[in-house]
Amino acid sequence: MPLDTSSAYPLALLRVDGRRWNDLRRLHAAVRTQAAADGSAYLEMGNTKVMCTVTGPSEENKRRTAASTATGNTGGAGGGAGAGGAEVAVEIVVGGFSSVDRKRRGRGDKRIHELQTTLSKALAAALHTHLYPRSTIALSLHVLSQDGSLLAALLNASTLALVDAGIPMSDLPVACTAGLTSAASAADDPLVDLNAQEEQELPFLTLATLGDTDRVMVLVLETRVQAARLKDMVDLAADACKSVHKSLREVVRRRGEHMVEEGAVEKGASMAMDMDIDV
Amino acid sequence: MPREAEPSLNERAFVVQALQEGLRIDGRALDQFRELDLKFGDQYGVADLTLGKTRIFAKVSAEVTTPYTDRPFDGIFTITTELSPMASPSFEVNRPTETEIMLSRLLEKTVRRSNALDTESLCLVSGQKCWSIRVDLHVLSHDGNLIDASCLAVVAALRHFRKPDTSIEGETLTIYTPAEREPVPLSWLHSPLCVTFSFFGEEADIVVMDANLLEEQLRVTSFTISFNKHGEICQGAKLGGTTVEAMTLIKCANDALDKVKELTTWLDLKLVEDSKRRDKGGLMAELSAENER
Repeated sequence: MPLDTSSAYPLALLRVDGRRWNDLRRLHAAVRTQAAADGSAYLEMGNTKVMCTVTGPSEENKRRTAASTATGNTGGAGGGAGAGGAEVAVEIVVGGFSSVDRKRRGRGDKRIHELQTTLSKALAAALHTHLYPRSTIALSLHVLSQDGSLLAALLNASTLALVDAGIPMSDLPVACTAGLTSAASAADDPLVDLNAQEEQELPFLTLATLGDTDRVMVLVLETRVQAARLKDMVDLAADACKSVHKSLREVVRRRGEHMVEEGAVEKGASMAMDMDIDV
Repeated sequence: MPREAEPSLNERAFVVQALQEGLRIDGRALDQFRELDLKFGDQYGVADLTLGKTRIFAKVSAEVTTPYTDRPFDGIFTITTELSPMASPSFEVNRPTETEIMLSRLLEKTVRRSNALDTESLCLVSGQKCWSIRVDLHVLSHDGNLIDASCLAVVAALRHFRKPDTSIEGETLTIYTPAEREPVPLSWLHSPLCVTFSFFGEEADIVVMDANLLEEQLRVTSFTISFNKHGEICQGAKLGGTTVEAMTLIKCANDALDKVKELTTWLDLKLVEDSKRRDKGGLMAELSAENER
């Protein structure tokens, strides 16, 4: 089923919200938004708005494990959350006000559960969890507004919050979506960073890469699409991830500069040094 | 909750090193499935699938109910999975484990969201009566690769299933017993099947199909992709874990398509065999209410 405005698409080459095929939506992010948390971030990808707080690494929380929140296995060979490395516990709360139709999602929602598990497993592989044996890194994500690319926004927000919490990672995990304008025709164009309206109509995938490499952390495709088009979509999403990576790095760098100005860290102190080198 | 027994360090090192040399402990090739067997029950819609030591039982049932108010023209189609302690001591009743949630989500995405079953054909009287098709999936024995095996069992059971024939005259809906009219098959659009790849090694460059339980415990990440034989991807999921080169995933997708074609042919053959077994004396063609349309 084509989009309402798809008749306009071949003429103006524009999408429903006026973007070109390879335009990302405005990505706005802020780090350290909650003073009480060990790390926190707020991220907007267009009208998708997500907040993330990180607590930890703290001593392993028995109650949390029992409460069947998504528990990620450690990245490497560690197995359980024991001596192998820290456990990454992710909890996602989707606000009832976040989408157009007010819907209450129970705790048992499998879709949310799947998102939690995905995030937890992806982050556990990117973080150096082996530095924190027998401990828990708890992420709490709040979805304030939904307008497509939810998983991507959640992952990007978690990345920033984890950077703020100062948990070592091999590179910034970043995510973005890519789709196709129509599944049937051969001359379909790929799109990046879909909004909710496009997500409902078009086949799309969410891809997460580690930094600006081509190494895929997460690939989620939930709609029917011709096999031959997979490569195009993956390529485009990987490119989009690179621009997201650039934006996130900019956010982290600005935060670092701000900390130096504030006098929270001295320039030349180990933390600022790391930032100069890494970021 | 009893934890799943973890493989010992020796076992871990042995299996991974063997894989690096291109060998699997059960002697299979890296892209070889274990022995598949499928038995249909006496009733329609009962499938019992074994893949090596993994055994899955799927049963389809149908009943007439009222449709959801927001979808008056659609029937109801649900897949329920149950991993009982019979399959592995780490499974508990009434407390879904992560494995169970991921399995039911994957089946949901593969079979339901890809519109393999035409739910509109289940509507009898719009807004009032529709068929509710329910697939109950029981894992009888768990030796890895539950996803591929379950998907195959669900698709086999649904394609084998026949629902009672109905007719509507004016306001009255008549449901015929199998004795009165031969039951009719579901309106099945395409057969999506899953293939799961397991990755090993630091760089996740060793790719293995149909991992058994031990290999599943040791893998660094996995990638499940669903195809139908027309070459459409119905679903793809790499949910976290060690990063994999994008090109490797694309290559996996191509391999999966070949495998799915092979599995589809095998499944078609099994279904034909079963219908021959049931069709004693060639009466089926006469009894069937279907025409050539």
